Amino acid sequence: MSAEKHERHAFEPKIVAYVCNWCTYLGADLAGTNRLEYPPNVRLIRLPCTGRIDFNLIVKGFEIGADAVLVSGCHPGDCHYTAGNYHARRRWMLFRPLLETLGFDMRRIHFTWISAAEGRKFQQVITEITEATRALGPAGYLSLPNGGKAPAWTPPPPALKPEPSGEEQMRSAAAQLLSSGAVSVVIGYDSHGAPSFARRAEDAERLCFNQQCTANLAVYLKRKEIRALGRIGLVAAPAILRALNVLETESQIDREQIVEIPVGQSSGDPDFAALDSFLRLAPEERMAWWMAEFERCVRCYACRAVCPMCYCERCIAEKNRPQAISPSATLEGNFAWHIARAFHQAGRCVGCGECTRACPAGINLSLLNATLARAAMQQFHYRAGAERGAEPLIGRYSLNDKEDFIR
Amino acid sequence: MSISAQDLLRIAADWIAQGKQLIGPKRVKPGLVLYARLKDASELALDGFLRPANSIKEAVFPRHEVLYRYRVTGGAVELLDEEFAPAETLVLAARPCDAAALPILDPLFNWDYRDEFWNRRRAATTIIALACHTHDEHCFCTSVGLAPDATRGADALLYPLGDAHFAVRQVTAKSEPLVAGYRDEDWPAMPAGPPVKFDPTDVQAFLEANFDSPFWNGVPLRCLGCGACAYHCPTCHCFDIIDEKNARVRNWDACQFALFTLHASGHNPRSTQPERQRQRLQHKFRIYREKFGEILCTGCGNCTRNCPVDLGVLNVLEAMPHG
Repeated sequence: MSAEKHERHAFEPKIVAYVCNWCTYLGADLAGTNRLEYPPNVRLIRLPCTGRIDFNLIVKGFEIGADAVLVSGCHPGDCHYTAGNYHARRRWMLFRPLLETLGFDMRRIHFTWISAAEGRKFQQVITEITEATRALGPAGYLSLPNGGKAPAWTPPPPALKPEPSGEEQMRSAAAQLLSSGAVSVVIGYDSHGAPSFARRAEDAERLCFNQQCTANLAVYLKRKEIRALGRIGLVAAPAILRALNVLETESQIDREQIVEIPVGQSSGDPDFAALDSFLRLAPEERMAWWMAEFERCVRCYACRAVCPMCYCERCIAEKNRPQAISPSATLEGNFAWHIARAFHQAGRCVGCGECTRACPAGINLSLLNATLARAAMQQFHYRAGAERGAEPLIGRYSLNDKEDFIR
Repeated sequence: MSISAQDLLRIAADWIAQGKQLIGPKRVKPGLVLYARLKDASELALDGFLRPANSIKEAVFPRHEVLYRYRVTGGAVELLDEEFAPAETLVLAARPCDAAALPILDPLFNWDYRDEFWNRRRAATTIIALACHTHDEHCFCTSVGLAPDATRGADALLYPLGDAHFAVRQVTAKSEPLVAGYRDEDWPAMPAGPPVKFDPTDVQAFLEANFDSPFWNGVPLRCLGCGACAYHCPTCHCFDIIDEKNARVRNWDACQFALFTLHASGHNPRSTQPERQRQRLQHKFRIYREKFGEILCTGCGNCTRNCPVDLGVLNVLEAMPHG
C-alpha cells in the first residue's frame, strides 16, 4: 500500500502540447518573459498553424508516453493564415467522436485558443491540465489494468437490406451499351458476387445482381489498367452511386467516361444501432475491445483495397521518410493505422461496409465509419455522396462551427 | 489405442501449465476461426469448421519480428544483440495443408543465408496435425501432391473418428513424449479428399509459355491488390525489413502491393495488378519449383476464402486454357 502511495506521489505527468507558431507559442513566450511560473511537465511542440496539426500527432503523443495532449492555436479571426484554425476546429469536431468510440480518455485531450497576449491564460491552462492529469494518473496507452480483458460485445443484428432488384434491366442495358459500342467494358458481378468484366454483348448474359453482390465496384475506377480499357459501364447500386459523387467532387473521375447502370434500392438512412449499442460500454471497455480486435490485424490492407475512397497513390501507411504511422502489425502500429484509415474517411465514407466484410480478421471497422458518419450528420447535416456536386465536408469551414470543446 | 478429445485437451493443458506456448484453432467470433496462441486449453476448437482462416506459419514466421536492437549515442551505434531463444511451441490441430508448408519453406530459409529465427523456431515447434474429413470447393490439396491425411511437416497426425476420439499416427520422434501412449496400429480408411483440379506440370508449362498473354488481363484483372491472400497463405513468406524505434524489424510483405516492387526512382517493374497476379502464380508454380523443386502451394484454398473479390490461386488456374 505504502509503495503504491509513494509511486502515486512520484508520478509526474507528461503533457505534449502542439501549439501554433503565431499565437500560443508567443503566449508561452510572454508567460516566460513575464516570469509567470507554470509546471515544467509540458513539452511544447511548435507548428506553423493548428491547421497543420495532423490528427495523427495526438495518437503519436500517447504512443511516446504522453499522459495528456494539448492542441492550442489562435483565437477565431486571429489566424496568421486567415483560416487555419477554422479548418482545425472542424477536423477536431469530427476527430473527437472517433477517439471516443475507440475509448480514449477524453479528459486527457485538450484544445485551447491562446493568443500572443495571453501569457497568463497559458500559465493557467498548463497548470490546470498538469494538475488534472496528475490526479488521473499515468495514461498507459494500450496497456490496461487487470490484464485488460476485452468485454464480450456482439453487435445487434443489422437492419434488413432491401431485396436486390433491377437484374434483368441491368443485363439488357449492359448488352445494349456493349453492342452499340457506347462502352468498351461493363463492370458488374458474376453469380457469386465476384466483380466481373463484360467486354462483349454476350458477356452481359452472365452479369448478375443478387444478395452476394456487395463489392463497391467504384473501387476499380481508380486503376490505370481499368481506365486503359476505355469508356466504362458501371453496375451501380446506391452505395456505388454515392461513391461516384464523392469521387467526382474530389476530381478523381471524369463522369463523362462512365455510364451508370443503376441497380438495387437505397436502404435509407444509415443504421447506427450497432454504434449505439457499442457506446454503452465504458470508455476503458471500448479500448479493451478494440485492443482485442486490432491485435488480430495482420495489415493485409484488404480494408483499404476494397474502398473506393482509398485512392492515394502512396498511402500514409507506406510513407517512411519520415514514417507517419508504423507499418508493423503491432498493437501500436495497428491502432495508428486504423485511426488514420477511419479519419481519412471523415465526410467521405459512403457506408458501403465493404471494409468490414473484407477484413479476414473480422474487425468491425464499420463502427468507426459509423461514428464519423453520424458526427457529420449531427454536426453538419452532411452525408457523404448523398448529393451530386455537394462540396466536401473537410476542406471548408463555417464561422459557426461549434467549439464548445475548445477552451 | 485412440486418443479422446478429453485427453487431447489434457495434453494441451499440461503443455500450457509448463509455461510453454500452445497454438491452435480458436473461435474468435461467430463464423471466424483463427490459429492463435491459446491461453487456456478450453479455447481449442476441434470441430464444427473446415479450417482456420489463417495459417500456422506465424508460429515460425511471425508477422512482426525484432531482429536486433541498437542504441545510438552521438555518432556511435551500439548493437544490442540478444541471444534468440524462442519459446517451446506446440501447434495442435494444424491442418495437413498447413503443416506441409513448413518443409516446403525450409530450403528457402537455408539457401544462401541460414535464417536463425526460422530455424530455431522450427526446432522449438512440435506440430500435431489433424487430418481433414471434409473439404469445400476451394480445397485442392490433391492437385499439389498432398492429401487430407498427408503427414508432411507434421510430427504426429490425428484423425477424427467421430465419437470425440482421434486415431493417432506418430510421424517423428519429436512427438513421442506427447503421443507415445496413444499410437494406433490400424489406421481408419480416409475419405478421398477434393477431386484433382489441375496438373501442376501443365500449369508450369503454361506459365513458361505465356508470360505475355492476354490471359493475364482476364480473370486476374479483378484483383484489388491487398495482401489477404499472401498473409493467410501457409507458404507465402515475403518480408520487408525496416528500422523502427531503435530496432531492425522484419514485417510480412506481399507481392500484390504496388509498393512491393516500387523502385526509389519511381519506376515500378510490375506496375499493374495483372502483372502482380502473374508474378504470384509464376512464383508458386514455376520459379520456386525451378529453384527448390517444390510447388509453393499446399492447396488449402485460404487465398480464395480470404479474398474480398473471390480470387485465389485456384480461380486463376481453372481459368487457364491448359490441358
